[in-house]
Amino acid sequence: METVAFIVLLLPLLSACVTLLFLRKHGNVAALLSVATAGGILAFSLYLIFAGGGETFAWEATWIRMSGWELSFGFLMDGPARLLLFVVSFVGFLIHVFSLGYMADDDAKARYFGGLSIFMFSMLGITLADNLIMIFVFWELVGFSSYLLIAHYYSTNEAAQASKKAFIVNRVGDFGFLIGIVLTYWAFDTVNLVEIENQLKDIVSWNLENPQNQILNPVTTALCLALACGFIGKSAQFPLHVWLPDAMAGPTPVSALIHAATMVAAGIFLLVRIEFLFTAQALSLIAILGAGMGLYAGFCALVQRDIKKILAYSTLSQLGYMAAAFGLGMPGLALFHLMTHAFFKALMFLGSGSVIHACHHEQDIFNYGGLRRKMPLTAYTFLIGVLAISGVNFLSGYFSKDAILLSAYNLNIPVFVLLYAGAILTALYMFRLYFIAFEGEARSKNAKNAHESPTLMTAPLLVLAFLSVIGGYHALFPDAIVGAAVPDLTVVAGMDNHLWMIVLGTLAWIIGIVGAKNLYGKVGQTDPLAAKAPAFFALCRSKLFFDDIYDFYVRRIQDPFARFIEVMEMLFISGLMVRGSAGIAGLFALLGRACYLGKIHAYAFWFIFGTLGFLAYAVGFFGN
Amino acid sequence: MNTITPHHFLILAFLLFGVGFLGVVIRRNVLLVLMSLELMLNGINVALVAFSRAGANLDGSIFVFFIMTVAAAEVSVGLALLVALYKKRKSIFTEDMNLLGN
Repeated sequence: METVAFIVLLLPLLSACVTLLFLRKHGNVAALLSVATAGGILAFSLYLIFAGGGETFAWEATWIRMSGWELSFGFLMDGPARLLLFVVSFVGFLIHVFSLGYMADDDAKARYFGGLSIFMFSMLGITLADNLIMIFVFWELVGFSSYLLIAHYYSTNEAAQASKKAFIVNRVGDFGFLIGIVLTYWAFDTVNLVEIENQLKDIVSWNLENPQNQILNPVTTALCLALACGFIGKSAQFPLHVWLPDAMAGPTPVSALIHAATMVAAGIFLLVRIEFLFTAQALSLIAILGAGMGLYAGFCALVQRDIKKILAYSTLSQLGYMAAAFGLGMPGLALFHLMTHAFFKALMFLGSGSVIHACHHEQDIFNYGGLRRKMPLTAYTFLIGVLAISGVNFLSGYFSKDAILLSAYNLNIPVFVLLYAGAILTALYMFRLYFIAFEGEARSKNAKNAHESPTLMTAPLLVLAFLSVIGGYHALFPDAIVGAAVPDLTVVAGMDNHLWMIVLGTLAWIIGIVGAKNLYGKVGQTDPLAAKAPAFFALCRSKLFFDDIYDFYVRRIQDPFARFIEVMEMLFISGLMVRGSAGIAGLFALLGRACYLGKIHAYAFWFIFGTLGFLAYAVGFFGN
Repeated sequence: MNTITPHHFLILAFLLFGVGFLGVVIRRNVLLVLMSLELMLNGINVALVAFSRAGANLDGSIFVFFIMTVAAAEVSVGLALLVALYKKRKSIFTEDMNLLGN
């Protein structure tokens, strides 16, 4: 078993190394190698998922040993890991195939596919890791590969800035994560997830049996919130959500793979892995934050013009749903929504990639229009994605999202209100995107000349569309994959108000679709909302000024402080200490150089002078 | 007062050494510098022989033989270098040997 896990983990690393060392000039070979690797990962992952027969599999070996302290390298294949492994390897493979078509004309194919392989390696590392430090290492690696891939078009200023922004904002979250790991180690003396869980169980059962003689539970809200910082950074949740929309400067398949289906979902996965550490306060905070994000991102998405940015905000909003589900104490629902979201969001991102490819890298939806007749396959699969995310009955999004809504309705009404408003908005902005881009008349030359993308690109769309339709029926999936989600789904199935929820859910998407049809049914080059409600439009465009606040902080507070430190550094460290000591040595050197005259007489003179000096010392002339 | 004491030898030795030293420091011609070096060595030899005589042992005399042997070797090497130098630079004046100074 561990051999297979090692193969899954190391295959993409090997492929990346071979690509970067030998295939830099052979883009096509590198592309095929990368896709073959992704196929290999899929095959071995499926073996890994099914070979255990649904049992939890754990394996570890010593990685680093220092006196009295040991760091292990291990695999933990439990329910959540199997589900994420399936999503990563399956969606990853489809996106690799799509990339073959999308990046066919790119100059730097080798760099792109090498980056994808590095990403797969890092992401699989997070999935398989059994302790927090290993997770952290791969956590940083996905951040790095995300940076690499966002900056693929590094010659454009936008991509260069966006990659830096993504990396730095993630660093902020990761710092909290690191503090959380240190706190965990301090509290439990181990970072292994299984051991921590067992310790906690022991403490809880001891406290139940001995009410007089309680042991203090080492878990604190501060600890789990520090760990949750990692999730907030990587899943782009409030207040670190600012990097994700900018990250759309990367190639579209990258956005689909990293910034929609897998990497941002790793944050949710992390939460699920450390779920036993969370206190009730921390959970309710995450629920409110997530639900707020679900609504806030919806408003932002409503006024964007860039097709990828709309999808990015929609991703933020759906990640908010997952966080809310987790906060409600339903990690299984979060995982289930993670899976269905990976299907329909990857589908829509790839669909947008197909559109962008056909329209010569035009990304403004107001310059599209009428694409349904030009590229029917893309349009209909995209429509399936839109229907699924809007929660149209009996598609995948309906099951996962309405399960979250129903549990929120029964457990926490404020969260439900936020999420429900978010659901209406989701349908509204998604159908806005669909109506503007695919219906009506073509509004630019590029859109008029668009044509359907090659089979390499449409085939993954079809597969994902199929999964977006049936992905919600968890009974169709083998238990090895969705096993982690089933208990919570069963709980939700037993909840009250089922019928009422179906009515509300249906109402939400019908309001969305009717609203979108009325508002955006016939549009020109401008957003009709800007004319009808300018103040609201401007407020949404501003995205509540988060970027401006951070910009102010960096420019006005952090930069002056950095400059102050720099001056101090120049004065004391590099001035006084480095230059100072060098100066003293230099003085001696000057003195020595003065003796090098290049005249043999002078040397003879110095020689004899020196001998006399030694003589004087030997006879005690210097008082010794 | 016409007996010759070790002091007289030492004064002679010092004078020889001093003349040699001045020669080494002042002369431009390397050949003469080498000769002056010999003079310095011989000044030392005189002092050593005088000590040997005054102390009634052979230590100083033995040292003198060593010095003479080494001096002979040193001069032959020095002269060989000088010839090589002359072939290369067409000069045996010290001011032309100033590569380090530049």
